[in-house]
Amino acid sequence: MMEKIIDINLIDLNLNCLNKEDAIISMANLLEKCGRLNNKEEYINEVIRREKLSSTGIGFGIGIPHGKSNAVKVPSLVFGRTKQGIEWQSLDGKPVNIIFLIAVPEKASNQHLKILASLSRKLMNQEFRKQLSEITNKKKLIEMLNGLIY
Amino acid sequence: MKILAVTACPTGIAHTYMAAEALEKEAKERGFNIKVETQGSIGIENEITKEDLEGADVVILTKDMVIKGRERFKGIPVVNVSIGDVIKKPGPLLDKIIEHLKKHNSKV
Repeated sequence: MMEKIIDINLIDLNLNCLNKEDAIISMANLLEKCGRLNNKEEYINEVIRREKLSSTGIGFGIGIPHGKSNAVKVPSLVFGRTKQGIEWQSLDGKPVNIIFLIAVPEKASNQHLKILASLSRKLMNQEFRKQLSEITNKKKLIEMLNGLIY
Repeated sequence: MKILAVTACPTGIAHTYMAAEALEKEAKERGFNIKVETQGSIGIENEITKEDLEGADVVILTKDMVIKGRERFKGIPVVNVSIGDVIKKPGPLLDKIIEHLKKHNSKV
């Protein structure tokens, strides 16, 4: 069976971080703890490199930092939420409260990539964003995210 | 109004699909006919075919990555836009494009 893209250990609803880089590092730590990375430093560097190319702050208070690299073992998603907004050089200039850290190996299965594509599309939906900002039950959140079908 | 579009971003994981969704949503709300091809990490999806080209008023291409097969669109007005603008403000973007087309082509 295909490994799920997110599990309960990859969610932090009270992310405590100072800035963008801090958020990326603390969420990457969760990936490492769950054995989803081959090389944490390399992965973080890739995410930050991508971030410098153009910010992943897509607006609506959402950031989607992501890295595609051999440093990633299993395609994964980390969900982080924070009360204090983080400056993310967003498209709409607003700080970020919801963060999806995406990790994809160089050779990822289409099935996983389709889940991420589907998530990206869903993020354009206001009702879905509202649910993401309000949900407190981690299990329900996981069902919501793993259940995305293209 | 018939719109064709192709979206692509550096990693092909997220923005490609967000931009496609934003355009589709905005166009459908206005009752326009739209087809958006995505060139992402999954490869090319919803590919724009020869039949699709017929009667198209405009082609919207994101300019953050090289779009494959742009020679297909010869003879149709092509607008190059940043993928960020598509995600952030699809409405004003379409307004601008329509206005531009009206100026240059009275049939739209």
